[in-house]
Amino acid sequence: MLPKFDILTDEQLNKIHENSMRILKEIGVEFSYDPAIEVLKKQGQRVEGHRVYFDPDFVKEMVAKAPAQFTLHARNPEHNLVCGGENIIYMPGYGAPFIYEADGVKRDATMEDYDNFVKLAGASKYMHMTGGTVVEPTDVRDEIRHLEMAYSHIVNSDKCFMGSSSGYEYAKDSIEMAALLHGGMDVIKEKPALICLINSVTPLKYDDRMLGGLMAYAETGQAMVIASLVMSGSTGPATMAGALSLQNAEVLAGITLAQCINPGTPVVYGSTSAVTDMSTGSLSIGNPENALFTSASAQFARFYGVPCRGGGGLTDSKTVDAQAGYESMMVLFATSTTGVHFVMHTAGILQYYMAMSYEKFMVDDEISGMILRYLKGFDCESDEKMAFDVIEKVGPGGHFLTQKHTRKNFKLEFYRPELSDRQSFDGWSKESLDTNQRAKIKWQEVLASYVPPALDPVVKEKIESFIEKRAKELLNK
Amino acid sequence: MNTIFEEIKDAIVDGDEDLAVELAEKVIAEKIDPVQAVQLGFIKGIEEVGASWTSGEAFLPDVMMAADAMKAGMDVLEEVLAAGEGEGSYEDKGKIVLGTVAGDIHDIGKNIVGALLTSAGFKVYDIGIDQKPEDFVKKADEVGAKILAASSLLTTTMKSQKVLIEYLVEQNIRDQYKVIIGGGPTSAKWGAEIGADGWAETADEAVLLCKKLLG
Ligand code: B12
Repeated sequence: MLPKFDILTDEQLNKIHENSMRILKEIGVEFSYDPAIEVLKKQGQRVEGHRVYFDPDFVKEMVAKAPAQFTLHARNPEHNLVCGGENIIYMPGYGAPFIYEADGVKRDATMEDYDNFVKLAGASKYMHMTGGTVVEPTDVRDEIRHLEMAYSHIVNSDKCFMGSSSGYEYAKDSIEMAALLHGGMDVIKEKPALICLINSVTPLKYDDRMLGGLMAYAETGQAMVIASLVMSGSTGPATMAGALSLQNAEVLAGITLAQCINPGTPVVYGSTSAVTDMSTGSLSIGNPENALFTSASAQFARFYGVPCRGGGGLTDSKTVDAQAGYESMMVLFATSTTGVHFVMHTAGILQYYMAMSYEKFMVDDEISGMILRYLKGFDCESDEKMAFDVIEKVGPGGHFLTQKHTRKNFKLEFYRPELSDRQSFDGWSKESLDTNQRAKIKWQEVLASYVPPALDPVVKEKIESFIEKRAKELLNK
Repeated sequence: MNTIFEEIKDAIVDGDEDLAVELAEKVIAEKIDPVQAVQLGFIKGIEEVGASWTSGEAFLPDVMMAADAMKAGMDVLEEVLAAGEGEGSYEDKGKIVLGTVAGDIHDIGKNIVGALLTSAGFKVYDIGIDQKPEDFVKKADEVGAKILAASSLLTTTMKSQKVLIEYLVEQNIRDQYKVIIGGGPTSAKWGAEIGADGWAETADEAVLLCKKLLG
């Protein structure tokens, strides 16, 4: 793995850190959820109404309790993931309500799309897990969506996945399902199997739903991403340093609360901060500022000794075009080379998180493969890799195409694209397919040949009856 | 022409809320014609900002600060205008109650819609986030608004827009209001499905929509 580069100087990092501490202490953070207020009060933090003013030393002490890395357990142990250290975890986009099709058609996402994206992530060599809320399945009643979504991850793949964080009750349901999958709550308490996304409400608030979710995950020792999305210029200051200070304060407040509830519970420092487009007001994510926020967040997470979530294959484009490609590559490259560990939104996102696209998923999958290869860097470990012997053998003026060394090593060292076209002009012009068209053919092929890994029928049956029981309760409420 | 009108116009263009209020108070104290102050000051200013917005020279902070300054200054003049003081009369282009629906706390888009409607001459009453149908109606009755504008950013809260319309029907007051909706996951199709009077994808289009509905 490549060394991770720092985007901030030590001096800049310290200045921003101190600024965040001052925000926490003098301005405070609002928590609407009473149980959370109780927890923080008990720990001696100054509380006025729902506003908590944090003591910086206490924050440091609590954040230090969070592990630097942890293992997320999959149904198939081969897919267990270490979050932290040198590792990087890729997964599909999160939360988009729309599908944009290859021909520009916009439509509501459905449960069928949900299953499809889970399968595509299951089939992918580069997606380490199948993510969570891969689209918002608008054809499923929202009371039971979290159950259907978790079920899709469980049956369509054996990789790790994310659970619901929409309030205490739904969060508990996902955790129960993970427990059934892994053989009991005690098992997953020891070996965390689920991770969720907790978001602050920028600026400086946490709402009931998110805090309910946080409590459920923290109590059961499941992992969570605690993230802040500052829209620089609208929900936060228009200066990069100011927005980063604000984000940092919010994330530290959330991590502190999680550690108060269950010291040592696995958390990930999360950021999706980006900028506001001042001509439309929309969030804009395919830009250098987002890349900078992401890289700085990775550095802050290193500084606090926790894993980092951020970035992705991010774009503002509405279709799979050059803009989608160059923006996504910029952000995912910065994400990956500066030390982010957990990359929600790696693949599929179009138009600032509003849509998923199958074609974009395939493009991002290719970008992911390219970056993962880049991250491996140079291998100088053996004489074979240094290749002196073969250089000597071929000598001046020869060529390497007929060497055993070549035949063996190009497969190990060269990234082989699956979507990019490297043919001659004539070869390409037989069909003249652009990336978008090739991607469409590709994902259909992948889906058609994907066979979900078998699930123990007894376990499956248990999970299905849990869903049935809960669906009845929730729909009759 | 009184130089204060020019000053008011500049205060709006600069988005200087404090100055706009101060000047409006001066208009009252010095018994300057309030209708003229509005026409030649506030409206002139906001039109200028609106023109730069349309041509792409002005950005959101320019428009939103101008709208805030306009609103603050006009609030000061409201009473004298209502009392019919001044030459001729001033009437806003229409009153609109704007809010984010129950269960939803996203408000950036709503705020932008409010600012652009204000700068287009509408009187906007922003009731904030997480608002129930009753809250929309209560405000509308209080101020005599004809348009209810409901924002929703979540697929799970879009149904609150439907609930708003159902509430109006239940109360037998559906025909008293035009209901318009918007927000990221909404669509023209959704608007038609729930029987809204209009949907707009952007704040600029929301202005055109309101002009059409009240025109
Ligand atoms: C910023 C943001 C937040 C901020 C909100 C801060 C704030 N003060 O508003 C925070 C972090 C708090 C937040 C929280 C959540 N969010 Co959010 N959020 C966004 C984000 C990134 C941008 C929204 C925004 O402000 N856009 C900019 C404005 C200008 O655009 P706009 O609102 O669409 O408004 C324009 C038009 O729609 C129109 N318009 C708007 N309102 C109206 C009204 C009328 C009448 C008319 C005519 C027109 C109109 O005019 C505006 C200007 O052109 C969106 C994704 C996105 N790109 O939109 C997700 C998004 C909306 N959020 C999402 C989610 C899931 C959530 C959360 C549940 C948790 C989470 N996972 O983040 C919570 C829910 C909180 C709650 N109960 O409401 C999802 C929704 C998916 C879905 N199921 O529908 C999205 C799509 C992101 C995603 N892919 O996951 N969010």
